[in-house]
Amino acid sequence: MMAAVLEYVQFVLAPQIVTGLAFGVAVILVAIGLTIIFGLLDVINMSHGEFYAFGAFAALALGSLGLPFWLLLALVPLLMLPLGYFTERVLIQRVFNRKDRHVTTLLLTFGLGLVLEDAFRLAFGPNPYRPDTPIRGAVTLFGVFLPNYRLFLIVVGAAVIAAVALVVYRTRLGAMVRAAAFDRNMAASLGVPVATVYAGAFAFGIALAGFAGVLLAPIYSVFPTMGRDFILMAFTVVIVGGLGSIAGAVVAGLFLTQVQAIASLYISPVWTDPIVFGIMVVMLMVRPRGLFGQLGHG
Amino acid sequence: MADASTVAARANHVLVGVLVVAALASAAIGVAVKDTFYLRLATEALIFGGLALSVDILLGYTGLLSLGQALFFGLGAYVSALVLMAVPSFWLALAASLSAGLVLGLVGGIIAIRVRGVYFALITFGMAQVVAKIVYNTRALGASDGLIGVPIIDVNLGVASVSSASPAGFFLVVLAVIVLLYAASAYILDTPFGRLLIALRANDARIPFLGYRTASLRLSAFVFAAVIATVSGALYPMLRGFVSPELLSFATSGNAVITVVLGGVGTLVGALYGSMLLTLLRSLLGSFTEHHLIVIGLLFMGAVIFLPDGLIGLVRRRIVRRLTLEDKPEEKPEEKR
Repeated sequence: MMAAVLEYVQFVLAPQIVTGLAFGVAVILVAIGLTIIFGLLDVINMSHGEFYAFGAFAALALGSLGLPFWLLLALVPLLMLPLGYFTERVLIQRVFNRKDRHVTTLLLTFGLGLVLEDAFRLAFGPNPYRPDTPIRGAVTLFGVFLPNYRLFLIVVGAAVIAAVALVVYRTRLGAMVRAAAFDRNMAASLGVPVATVYAGAFAFGIALAGFAGVLLAPIYSVFPTMGRDFILMAFTVVIVGGLGSIAGAVVAGLFLTQVQAIASLYISPVWTDPIVFGIMVVMLMVRPRGLFGQLGHG
Repeated sequence: MADASTVAARANHVLVGVLVVAALASAAIGVAVKDTFYLRLATEALIFGGLALSVDILLGYTGLLSLGQALFFGLGAYVSALVLMAVPSFWLALAASLSAGLVLGLVGGIIAIRVRGVYFALITFGMAQVVAKIVYNTRALGASDGLIGVPIIDVNLGVASVSSASPAGFFLVVLAVIVLLYAASAYILDTPFGRLLIALRANDARIPFLGYRTASLRLSAFVFAAVIATVSGALYPMLRGFVSPELLSFATSGNAVITVVLGGVGTLVGALYGSMLLTLLRSLLGSFTEHHLIVIGLLFMGAVIFLPDGLIGLVRRRIVRRLTLEDKPEEKPEEKR
């Protein structure tokens, strides 16, 4: 009896948890970008999923030129910084001060997502690509079979998430970001360059999504609508964690992806989405603000 | 005495009148030159116009952006297809979709109206994605293929009977249904209930002070919009003979939002014109390139930035001015939206 349970944990449950954890780390990277952009700018970025896809496609294109994966992991997010910066400056600022900011910016970024998605299809065709796994092989830890690349993804992703949290909560730059999120005018009058902080935060969120795209490309395939399939989970994580909360995104991201991973052992994967969505609905009913407070508050 | 809203509504009626006359004229031309393709396309544009109408009721009047309205449109289409495959009756299919719209709208509404603003947009998006995924994987509903082989039906209109296979005949039937949906929406939005919805959009914090419950108002608006969407969806399988999970997808919901924004938010008639225009544009672009989404996406972004009142906003201002001058020539013309 005991042996059967241990065997179940070793061969079924533990690998599934690790798979869920790798997915969860990537979801958190995307969700943190979304939540920072919302917490600071009050903008729901509907094109966030397409920027995630942008990262994956950029890695694919640059990788075919012969650049090594390690370089891409740093280069792609760096290249996406100016892209995000100008998107915020040129597009979002244009409608930022309208009365209906939530709806208008949501619509605008939705349109941007459509254009990007079709541009991917134009450049790469509709079929999925599967880049080679940069790290092959696997290790066996406590009898649990663990693919090396997933372990690498978890460690690197977690390190980046920790670095982001450290910057936002423990540095002078982070204090400026939080001040701008809390009270834009007050922060501006104290000398915080609010416009630059806004555009910078947007660029940073986009770069994080691109980074997640590079990381996940070897595990899931790269295809034009990959962002759309991915973004629902990220939105759910952001809502459950609380729009604008980094800690919330991490906790909700780990929790929801684990629920999805473990539930799919027992029920058809089709029904795991309704479960995750159900958790979001219950959360909205019980605690509409999410698990944690907003960026810059409390 | 008419207030700004009523005048704006009258201007919309004028524009619907123009649309109907243009539609009748094109139907006559279509019959004369024995066209099938463009009449079918125009019928489809009207059907998707009905979906856009339901988005506009929520966005333009109640201030709720639904990113999952295709959920109701698609379910209406599936219900209609299932009914038609069992009993080929136009009216039964319409009645079944309408009842389904009431029930599903109530269920969806209870989930969605707890929240506002961006949360509402995201929760409707999520609801539609989840249901679309379930339908996509349900064998009984044809899974990814959808339901194929919906029979051609005869629409019994009492005095005459029109086959759904007749391009001009069925176009007129759909035109009648969609104009009826428009009329019903315009009528309801002009009642005190409709004014409350507009008030909800303007400032929902004040509604309780006037003695109304915001939750039940929002729920009514949601159910109403859901019914408009399911009834429009019910027409789709009659036209095309099949339904597919694509009808429930985010692409369909997003298209409806694009249609409303291009046509003009809060005008109702903008949804119909927008749908005609977009369908035509897509068909024209489709003959050059598969990548019409880039063009439509850019146009849409342009409309969001430069044309907050949509295309109808450009024309309607003139009509409103004329109507106001007729009504009370001594006062300065004013416009609400």
